Amino acid sequence: MPLIKGFLETSFIDWPGKLCAILFVGGCNFRCPFCHNHPLVLAPEGMETIAFEEIMSRLAARRNWLAGICISGGEPTLSPGLPKMIARLKAEGWAIKLDTNGTRPEVLAQLLGDHLLDMVAMDVKAPLVQEKYDRCAGGPVDLGAIRKSIGLLRHSGIPHEFRMTIAPSLHTEEDVVAWAHQFDRSRSRLTLQNFNPKTTLDARYENEQGFAPEIFSRLSGLVA
Amino acid sequence: MGVVMPLNAETAQARTHQVVNEDSTDIALFVRSSQDDMLGWNRQRIVDALLRETFIDRDTAEKISKDIEVTIQAGKVKTITGPLIREMVNAKLLEMGLEEARRMHTRLGVPLYDVDQLLVQHNKENANVPHGPEATNLTLAEGIKKEYALLHVFTPDVADAHLSGDLHLHDLGFIDRPYCSGQSLEYIKKFGLNLPHALSMAKPAKHAEVLLAHMVKFAASLQSHFAGAIGWDAINLFYAPYLEELDDNGVKQLAQMMIYEFSQQAVARGGQAIFSDVNIYWEVPKHFEDVPAIGPGGEYTGKTYREYEKQAQRFAWALFEVYKEGDAAGRPFFFPKPLVHITEKFFKTDGHMDFLHHICEVASVKGNTYFVFDRGDTAKISECCRLSFKLEASDIEDAKQPWKMRYSALQNVTINLPRLAFKAQGDDTKLFGLLTEKIQLAAKAHGQKRKFIERLMSLGKGGPLSLLAMDLDGEPYLKLHKCSFLIGMVGLNELIRVHLGQELHDSDESIKFGLKVIAHMNIVCNKLAESMGMKFVLEQTPAESTAFRFAKLDLAHFNAEAEKVVQGNREKGEVYYSNSTLFNVGAFMSPIARVEKEGLFHPLIEAGSITHIWLGEAQPDKEALATFVINVFKYTQNDQIAFSPEFTACLACGKTSRGLSETCPYCESKNVDGITRITGYFTKISSWNKGKLGELHDRYRNIDRFNN
Repeated sequence: MPLIKGFLETSFIDWPGKLCAILFVGGCNFRCPFCHNHPLVLAPEGMETIAFEEIMSRLAARRNWLAGICISGGEPTLSPGLPKMIARLKAEGWAIKLDTNGTRPEVLAQLLGDHLLDMVAMDVKAPLVQEKYDRCAGGPVDLGAIRKSIGLLRHSGIPHEFRMTIAPSLHTEEDVVAWAHQFDRSRSRLTLQNFNPKTTLDARYENEQGFAPEIFSRLSGLVA
Repeated sequence: MGVVMPLNAETAQARTHQVVNEDSTDIALFVRSSQDDMLGWNRQRIVDALLRETFIDRDTAEKISKDIEVTIQAGKVKTITGPLIREMVNAKLLEMGLEEARRMHTRLGVPLYDVDQLLVQHNKENANVPHGPEATNLTLAEGIKKEYALLHVFTPDVADAHLSGDLHLHDLGFIDRPYCSGQSLEYIKKFGLNLPHALSMAKPAKHAEVLLAHMVKFAASLQSHFAGAIGWDAINLFYAPYLEELDDNGVKQLAQMMIYEFSQQAVARGGQAIFSDVNIYWEVPKHFEDVPAIGPGGEYTGKTYREYEKQAQRFAWALFEVYKEGDAAGRPFFFPKPLVHITEKFFKTDGHMDFLHHICEVASVKGNTYFVFDRGDTAKISECCRLSFKLEASDIEDAKQPWKMRYSALQNVTINLPRLAFKAQGDDTKLFGLLTEKIQLAAKAHGQKRKFIERLMSLGKGGPLSLLAMDLDGEPYLKLHKCSFLIGMVGLNELIRVHLGQELHDSDESIKFGLKVIAHMNIVCNKLAESMGMKFVLEQTPAESTAFRFAKLDLAHFNAEAEKVVQGNREKGEVYYSNSTLFNVGAFMSPIARVEKEGLFHPLIEAGSITHIWLGEAQPDKEALATFVINVFKYTQNDQIAFSPEFTACLACGKTSRGLSETCPYCESKNVDGITRITGYFTKISSWNKGKLGELHDRYRNIDRFNN
């Protein structure tokens, strides 16, 4: 089983339009400088693991309330037991949303093939340009894998979104336009998130600002 | 007018002035009286006052006046005022052991230093009072009325219990008014604006805008006769017969006018906006379905309210459109607070999901919406921070003539629960015994307030409460015999923490014990209600300043015990107890668990409860919130919920942004003010008292993802 390092029983914001619970899986292959969940990325072994059975029983008590479960991280697809865990949740009747960075298309393909997912949100950190992408992810990225994952989702037939966290020091307006051009908006939902300087993975980013609200809403308009 | 003035005449200016002839051996002293006048010294005036105001005998009064004269001569006093002479006489009375006479002869007033502080500093007891000449007038008047109440309306045991912080008598500065009022628009629709002592009288309104003008003026006059909230029942329904002449733009315009009128009325009492609530229904409430509707000119329209569903819905929709936009700077409107009733019938009414999404969007974007849950056959009218009046059989009868529907709570008394636990030292029997005693004392306080208001009301239309005595429908506006008396609580969570060593959210055991405490309060209230013939009901006290005051007093007088359980930041003095039966605001609890578990207490608290969900900067989807609201109705016993976002209003560029930040995200100015809900309403954070600032810092906002 993947090591679950965090559990939020109710989220209003992680599954568009639905109330969901969130499981946070430890470990990540990216080092995005603006990441807020960095303890999960850098030192998951220092965080207490929550027993899966405990989560199952807490979820069972919320059956009436929750529309589904969002599996987030870290990067959940790195954990070999992910399909098994999702299968158990599915067997209990839960709808599943997966948050992923798309670096493991083979895992994604398997989950989609086994009909284990009801919704996927994939972070696409920048336009698919090696140097830009590496900078946003904090290390070298296999863009081929990212492309494959995007393709898988585009043809998956399930609701999915591609999202990008934008920061003034990493993204320009041209980047946002180029990024949006990579997708077919009739099939995929696109969203932008504004960079927020509270507790970032790279401490230098805590002194930076996000985009001013009116600029951010204009940029969001470009991808809508 | 004498040297020693009756107290109401003594509020004069006292400019320093040399008025004594120093060469003279007799007293040729002039006394600055309170009537902008200087009078010659006359010892007899002391005697007259003592005989008029106290029970002491003439000889003693004569002796005192002579002693005072000697003292004044000996001291070569240069400047003397009426108040100074009075204080000297009081000191003499005290010296002679005439304590009761001193009490009766005492003077109420404010030290010079305090007035100077007050005129310059901001009073933060109530965040709804801005700073200004009207506000300081209010504070000064409240100060004197409060002293008067504690000395003259309440018996010493009650007054002492208040002063020591065993309990809190709310709104003592408004001793000569009832606490709050909920009413129907039908009253002014039927009778026009016809107030006692008004300079002119208006017939019933013929047009929606005129009705609005009447409503606002009536609300303002009510505000000056009640201490707290002014609530309006089913406002969208009762406006409906006036809306037929308006197109959608007209209805939107009217909604806008109503909200702006109430949110900008900060020109009335003490510079305060009218603390106003509007109850809104998507459906036509069952008890109004067959009621003949009153329309323009105060005439019956020939239809019943059942037939006005669509008009009422148009207005409800438009009101929330205005709330969603916010004010000119995009800030949420603070007043009137919209309370939407979610009932069984709501779910059977066409378009309810669209409306639910609409009001949930407002809840997410601006936070205004209050969701009030009336399950089964319950019908209520809600107001204030959470107060509600359950409608009984006789009220439903009144509903046939809705102008008769008006509800008032006469006073609110809150009990300091943690202190009971300090005293009980772990002994259950002692704890419940002490609790009973305090409820009895609160009931006694209510009896004394009732007697006082009865006295004022007995003066009828010529008395100070003439507005409340007006009887256009054959009954006084204030129906004293139907008034409720509120008994509230602060710090159940801390009581449990002292008594059981854990907080409410820690275990089912502590919740169970908490329920026992509140159930006991409920039972004692019911028994006292029966024996005293007064309607005592529990309410979750908003306790905007009481939660701070109790914590502060307990830290001073029960330091060893209080230190362990008081919430907040002691170094900064930002201390508080958890409000009423609320769980620790900082507990890492999912919103579901919070509404469910806090909701367990709500059925025991008849006069109103609320659970807050602090959103912080998160802006959830309307669909997710709507699902949540439906589930709260279906699966919990929770009475009322509100979602509270936070905003930063920039005073430099005038823009409003989401979340609390130290600098404006638009222009980076540091000249910003936060806006969020305090106890039951939106205000600017800069006006908060220290206890609530401590609470704000601790609030769990459901965005911290990891419990570490």
